[in-house]
Amino acid sequence: MKRLALLALVGACGGNAVFHLTAPDNDREALSAALAQRQLPVQASPVNSAHVPRVFVLEVGMGPKKTIVAYDLAASSILWRQDADVQSRIWVGGNFVVELESKQLVARDQQTGAVKWNTSVPGEFIGASADGDRAYLVWKEDAHTWWLAAYDGSSGKQLWKADADGVLGAPAAHGGVVYAPYNAQWLSIIDGRTGKPLARIRGIDEQISVIRTTSRDAYYGSTQGVFELDGKSSSGKRADSSYGQIIVPPQLDHTTYGRDAYDPVQLAYTAADRSRILFATTEGMKLANDGYAVHYFRYVFGFDLKGALTWAYSNPRVELVASEDSGAAILAMSSTGELVALDPKNGGVRLQRNIGTTAPVLGATFDADGWSPPAQGERVETVKALVSIARDHDARFDRVKEFAVRALAQRPGGEVTKELLGVLADARAPQKLKDVVVDLLVARKDPASLSVLAEQLATHDDFLLQTTPLALGPVARAIAGLGGAKLDPAVVATTLAALQSHLDAPTTQVADLVFVIDAMAAIGGGKERPALGSHLLLYHADDDLGTDVAWGRAIVVALETHGGPGERELLRQVAADPRTKPDLVAVIRDALALD
Amino acid sequence: MWVLPFACACASVASGAPATRPAKVTKADKATAGIDALALALSGADEEAAAKAATALGELADPAAHDALLDGLAFGLRTPVAVEALLGLSKHPAPPDVSSFKRYAGHHNPSVRGTAIAALAKYPDPAAHAVVVQGLHDTAGVVRNAAADAASKGHMREAIEPLLALLARGEESAARALAAMADADLVRKIGDQLGRVPDASLALCLGLVLRRPDFGPDTERVEVVRAIAKITDQSAVSALTDYLDATPKNPPRPSRTEAEKVVEARLSGGAK
Repeated sequence: MKRLALLALVGACGGNAVFHLTAPDNDREALSAALAQRQLPVQASPVNSAHVPRVFVLEVGMGPKKTIVAYDLAASSILWRQDADVQSRIWVGGNFVVELESKQLVARDQQTGAVKWNTSVPGEFIGASADGDRAYLVWKEDAHTWWLAAYDGSSGKQLWKADADGVLGAPAAHGGVVYAPYNAQWLSIIDGRTGKPLARIRGIDEQISVIRTTSRDAYYGSTQGVFELDGKSSSGKRADSSYGQIIVPPQLDHTTYGRDAYDPVQLAYTAADRSRILFATTEGMKLANDGYAVHYFRYVFGFDLKGALTWAYSNPRVELVASEDSGAAILAMSSTGELVALDPKNGGVRLQRNIGTTAPVLGATFDADGWSPPAQGERVETVKALVSIARDHDARFDRVKEFAVRALAQRPGGEVTKELLGVLADARAPQKLKDVVVDLLVARKDPASLSVLAEQLATHDDFLLQTTPLALGPVARAIAGLGGAKLDPAVVATTLAALQSHLDAPTTQVADLVFVIDAMAAIGGGKERPALGSHLLLYHADDDLGTDVAWGRAIVVALETHGGPGERELLRQVAADPRTKPDLVAVIRDALALD
Repeated sequence: MWVLPFACACASVASGAPATRPAKVTKADKATAGIDALALALSGADEEAAAKAATALGELADPAAHDALLDGLAFGLRTPVAVEALLGLSKHPAPPDVSSFKRYAGHHNPSVRGTAIAALAKYPDPAAHAVVVQGLHDTAGVVRNAAADAASKGHMREAIEPLLALLARGEESAARALAAMADADLVRKIGDQLGRVPDASLALCLGLVLRRPDFGPDTERVEVVRAIAKITDQSAVSALTDYLDATPKNPPRPSRTEAEKVVEARLSGGAK
């Protein structure tokens, strides 16, 4: 009896070797029992006891302190504001929130913000979490010992603690269990009430460094992919688990599935919170809403199941510092306190409202699982968002701009072409982006864009108007790409006239002239021949143009390939003219297969 | 679109066949043979001979010589030869020339297009005027100067606005062209540019108007003097002094008297 009492004391107050290398893992039965023990809501809902959607925002405060702003999403009102020396993220429990202040884990009443209890962190703070009834804390005691402890959410009384002889990461919790990552390879599932180890998963072909919980689901994995915690997890292998890898465009680099549980920096709100993959799943790791989203600083992109961009959102002026997929909406908070809710299916903006912060927002924790503002037939303005991204002058996002213009170019229509041309006209746009746009314009082959391209040709070198043609070569190349397409004859005539104006313009550079000739030949249908013939005659003996091989090849090919007998006779006569430059003669002879 | 007689030009160049000798050689035949020879030289590989042929053809009043120049230009000439051919063509203006000048007014070489545009001064065709006006927008100064001169010589009213725009950019050729074209109304319009164009350019323009013997009556010249007097720059005094130097004291002219007053006041440090 005395011995039993001693064991019980150890279990309540000291280490009981929950974490060690040789503990059993990937036990199917143990895992099933652990999962069954979770007390999860039937439907996704906020964790807080009132089940009211809330967001807890941390803003810059006076002096070294910061301010926590608790906001009721459903009522659109601030619950409370409290100044505090917050040094971590905020974790949401039933009727409390916890965060780190100085060396104390502090719990605050979720209705008032008043301090309910606090407890010293006995070592280096590694992380915390909470569920309806308890708060959990992980700290590092010395170079070899880590601890996980549970505290009663109402009183702050320590319920149990467990030591580890290897590295523990930041925990996560829901439904009465706590998930503790261990040595980057294991995920222990612990009974939150007793501290009893329920099951342990060992990642066989992937590290476990990321844990994300919603009210009903738990995900774990790494930067490579993510597992849904279910009965299959006992395999420890990707192939036999509910596992997913989401395609993220390379331009949105450093995007992650969740916080790195082993990165001490991410204990606080950081830039890592601004590049996040946002997803929700149905059973068997199937993506809900037919896709997923990526939050990338000011932007949110929606993708379909094949990884193709379906929508985009660009937040005006400032970055989104926090985001969450509630399953019903993509929720985000901007650095100026703007709350944004997007339709996860099409990016429609359901809500965009300032919550009334008074200082820059550092980060936020949403407790709004399953919540969304009501849909009101909001407009989806993906093209506008992509244009806004492409025109963003923030040099940090040059690769995102490239992604945006590529996505833009996938969409048909003259308006899109006009916007792409607008990027070329932007003096502050990076040259690399312009090069991408040029390639996209050429590859676009969109007949509906011909009139827009022709309009672009209206500008010439003009001393009085102080104008110069914009992207003449690329525009001509884009027009040339339309050769063979079904085009409006009236638009072709207009375009041909515009191209000829550049063919005849004295200041058109040879490099551009070549593309102008190509374009005229590609769409002219024979109507371009007199102008091209005249052009050849004008310059066949010219000391400058006549010696340019690229020009010679362009004009000769245009007349030989697209011309008739008259044009070929003209070429023969030019080749026979003793004044014709030798290189040009060679090109003609080659084209006509003359001896 | 150009009307290109290149087919016939091609034939004559490519065949290189000698002209068939007529049974009886008349004076006219000799002239024709000479033009044929010049035409061949014009399209030949010898650039110096071609340029001389172009000059010689331009001197001839014979329409055949004119046609030879048109043919040569239609087939394309090297730069120095083209300049001579264009000058020659303009010596005996004919309506069909305009399309050829227009074509060369867009040539890559500024000398060629300057020559073509200058020549168009002799053509009343609105198409010719349009080319000259376009030349005022050219990025090459030599071409704008040629266009301004052509606009002046051709009294092209449609060139006035772009010339005023060039005056605002301080282009001397525009000042000279406007001065040459100005009547009383235009002088007032030029005077209204005070503050919008460089003082020196305005003073030069109005000073040149004053010195035009055909500009008048003298009451209009008085207005010009008063317009110059509003220019505070030293160039105004220079313009009026040039006017005083260029006109006799007698018989007395009110405009000269007015100019003297302004100059004296300026030199003595007065306001006017």
